[in-house]
Amino acid sequence: MSKKESAWTRFAAWVNGEHEPAESRLFSMGMGPRKERRPEITLPKREEKQRLHGFLSWYPVASAVIGVILVGILLATVLAMPSFGQVENPTNNEVPAHYLQHTREETGASNAVAGMILNYRGFDTFGESCVLFLAVSCVFILLLRDENNTSQKDLEQAQRREQRRKRRQDVILQEAARLLSPFILLFGAYMLLGGHHSPGGGFSGGAVLGGALILYASAFGQDAIRRFFNEKVYNTVRVIGLMLYAVLFGYYIFTGANGLENHIPLDYGGLILPIDIAVGLVVACTMYGFYAMFTRGEL
Amino acid sequence: MTLLEDILLLGLIVTAVAAPLCKRLMATVIVYMSFGLLMAVLWVLLESPDLAVTEAAVGVGVTTILFFLTLRRIHELKGTKDE
Repeated sequence: MSKKESAWTRFAAWVNGEHEPAESRLFSMGMGPRKERRPEITLPKREEKQRLHGFLSWYPVASAVIGVILVGILLATVLAMPSFGQVENPTNNEVPAHYLQHTREETGASNAVAGMILNYRGFDTFGESCVLFLAVSCVFILLLRDENNTSQKDLEQAQRREQRRKRRQDVILQEAARLLSPFILLFGAYMLLGGHHSPGGGFSGGAVLGGALILYASAFGQDAIRRFFNEKVYNTVRVIGLMLYAVLFGYYIFTGANGLENHIPLDYGGLILPIDIAVGLVVACTMYGFYAMFTRGEL
Repeated sequence: MTLLEDILLLGLIVTAVAAPLCKRLMATVIVYMSFGLLMAVLWVLLESPDLAVTEAAVGVGVTTILFFLTLRRIHELKGTKDE
């Protein structure tokens, strides 16, 4: 047990950059022997000017030609495709007909798009949620300020910036945020909860929720939003969203997906509604996390 | 309705051409934002409101905010030079 613990502490120290692994040359960049510098080529000035002039004259022409060729290829492709919405199109086969007919009774969603992305293609959406989760985690790794990468000077600068922000608060922004952000939050919640029978759903509803949080934070500062949405709450919500999705969809798959018998009641959107909420939580946290990391490097 | 669609499509082309031609990066971001807004209205006219809502929220709102924050970080906006 003690050996395992010491291995764990060593690993943690290595992650924090305080401890070098035993085979340090495996992980550190080696310094090879210095290469001989090439003797500098000095063109005569006039010649260089001429060369530069020639380059600058053919560069726009070449880029324009390449762009026109690319646009031509794309336009030819679009024109060669079958026109939109025709009956004899190859995409108009029994698959979309089945989806349009049976979405309601198989998934409980009257919005066929929601039934498609959250139920039939649920794995796809799960992958996208994981991508968002990982993206915001990577931004955290790069930009989050903690005691290891913040110097005293940075802290003082941040404090000065905060004081400057407090000195000249934007009245228009604050009043607009005070008026608008409750309604934006309400609309986001409506889109989240009604995604199975009206346009909206997890991604757009979550983005609207995140937008409301961003508006509130940019108007009143992050101290105001930290009263109810600090780092602990943020991480909890984000992880719970993804885990909720994984557990629900895993349960759905293992009890028989795609119209097989399962125990999930299909009233009120069946599985779509909780999955929508889970995706919305992840997306809202992602949006707000990007904003917080880019502005101040802390939640 | 088709006249409105034509106007919107023309606006799409104009904004798409104008965005890279702007001298200031802030103007580029704003023109790109108007491109996204036109696109969102077009999605509604093309009967895909799901896409319209997502475009308006993500493409116009959050992307523009992130662009502005990046511009502030690289001191491209007016009055964001470090003292």
